[in-house]
Amino acid sequence: MSASADTQAPAPAPAARSERSHRRPFSSWREHHGWSAAASLRRLASKPVGSLLTIAVMGLALALPLAFYLLLSNVQSLGDALGRNQVINVFLKVDQVAGNAQLLAKQIGQHDGVANVVVKTPQQGLDELSKMQGFSDALHALDDNPLPFVLQVQPQDGISAEAASRLVDDLRGMQGVDMVQDSGTWRQRLDALLGVGNRAVLILAALFALAVLLVVGNTVRVDITSRAEEIGVLKLIGASRAFVRRPYLYAGIWYGLFSGVLAVVLALAIEFALVEPAARLSQVYEGKLHVAGLPPWLLVAVPAAAALLGWLGARLVSAWQLRKAA
Amino acid sequence: MIRFDQVSKRYEGGHEALSQLTFEVAKGEMAFVTGHSGAGKSTLLKLLALIERPSHGHISLDGQNLAKIGRSGIPKLRRSLGMVFQDHRLLMDRTVFANVELPLVIGGIAPLERGRRVRAALEKVGLLDYERQLPASLSTGEQQRVGIARAIVAKPDVLIADEPTGNLDPQLAVEIMSLFAEFQQFGTTVLIASHDLPLIKRMKKRVVVLDHGRLVADVAAEEVL
Repeated sequence: MSASADTQAPAPAPAARSERSHRRPFSSWREHHGWSAAASLRRLASKPVGSLLTIAVMGLALALPLAFYLLLSNVQSLGDALGRNQVINVFLKVDQVAGNAQLLAKQIGQHDGVANVVVKTPQQGLDELSKMQGFSDALHALDDNPLPFVLQVQPQDGISAEAASRLVDDLRGMQGVDMVQDSGTWRQRLDALLGVGNRAVLILAALFALAVLLVVGNTVRVDITSRAEEIGVLKLIGASRAFVRRPYLYAGIWYGLFSGVLAVVLALAIEFALVEPAARLSQVYEGKLHVAGLPPWLLVAVPAAAALLGWLGARLVSAWQLRKAA
Repeated sequence: MIRFDQVSKRYEGGHEALSQLTFEVAKGEMAFVTGHSGAGKSTLLKLLALIERPSHGHISLDGQNLAKIGRSGIPKLRRSLGMVFQDHRLLMDRTVFANVELPLVIGGIAPLERGRRVRAALEKVGLLDYERQLPASLSTGEQQRVGIARAIVAKPDVLIADEPTGNLDPQLAVEIMSLFAEFQQFGTTVLIASHDLPLIKRMKKRVVVLDHGRLVADVAAEEVL
């Protein structure tokens, strides 16, 4: 055992005391956090299989609501694409003459949500019907053409379901209109279903967030239990409860962050897998269909929220577990 | 200065570990607390580190009444003490360096300064070449020296040790005790609980003798035969 000039005075020298007492609290705080963050990362790395399994479970739990979100977004996108081709048929009363039909078509054409209006005469309607199988004979039996003028109203691209519904109501209220056939009713039903789906996604996200909280909590609980001896030593040599707890809080943050990143990667993989079939479907609909991907803010928000969840789970459990161990 | 004033400790069930204990250890003094197993030596040290609280009486450390220290103040008190345990209490999954570094990390010391002080402490106990090793690869005596390095690295005012040579061979025990005596010479107050009477006599320091929790003798250093 040797001695050096530095170690010949184990008792606090005046300079050492001064350094301790004047050390800026922020520096100590920063040192503590840096050490705790690194120590918790080392602990995760020291048991790679267990850590990866935990992160995988949490990542999958977070990826599921994201996958549902993607699915719904794409169904919505499909609905939008199909909805753009839908035409509203406005049947005029049989007493309406060509002049009235043209006038109404002009009025309707000035409506905000309308892209185009085509006037179909009763004769055109009769011709179309006569081409359909089974109608020809029946039509020959008629003395007069019973069909009215029909206005085919093409709504603007990207019109919302609410705006389309308002347009239909406006059309119904116009003078000379007998009936409005809204082939976009299915769209309203789809939107209603999407509303249910969106709510289901939120509920799923909340449930899986709770699952993440529980997984992190249980992992931290097991970790604290297995490190009871270490915690005892730390307390004996002067560690505060906050110091003892901090690595576990960082562990929660790491678990959350990594699982959030994994969830985003999985969701992007799902998005990538959808590109090719969506492209084929898009060809069918004249290139109007595009894959709805995850918005960029979500790519950042999911890992951040997962890290927050991990921290919360670790905080709740460590507070309880360390109080029990005290 | 350490001061015990009429201190008693009674555990649940009625066992009295310490009874009406009154004594002082001056600043910079080194003293042994000895007695048979169950005499109250470890309890005395536990009361000083606030691992336990006395049932009666007052304990003060450098004029600070320990009874007035709440739970939140305990870590600060313990940071002012260096503690050495018979079973070393090392973290076996950390290197020697990491173990010794812990009190400095807790104290919020910057990494560069931590490294300097840890190496100085390891050099002091003769383990500078072992800093990267895990404690399990060291002998019992070496592990105890790691424990001592950890206790002194933050330059505590008071060093307390509970049977620090309990598992060591006589030659190593003398070396360890000499280390403590060296720290005392530089102003550290040292209080050691030990039942190793031959070793205590050899050190020629003050001896406080307990029996069934009572102080039965307080022998000054110069009176130790």
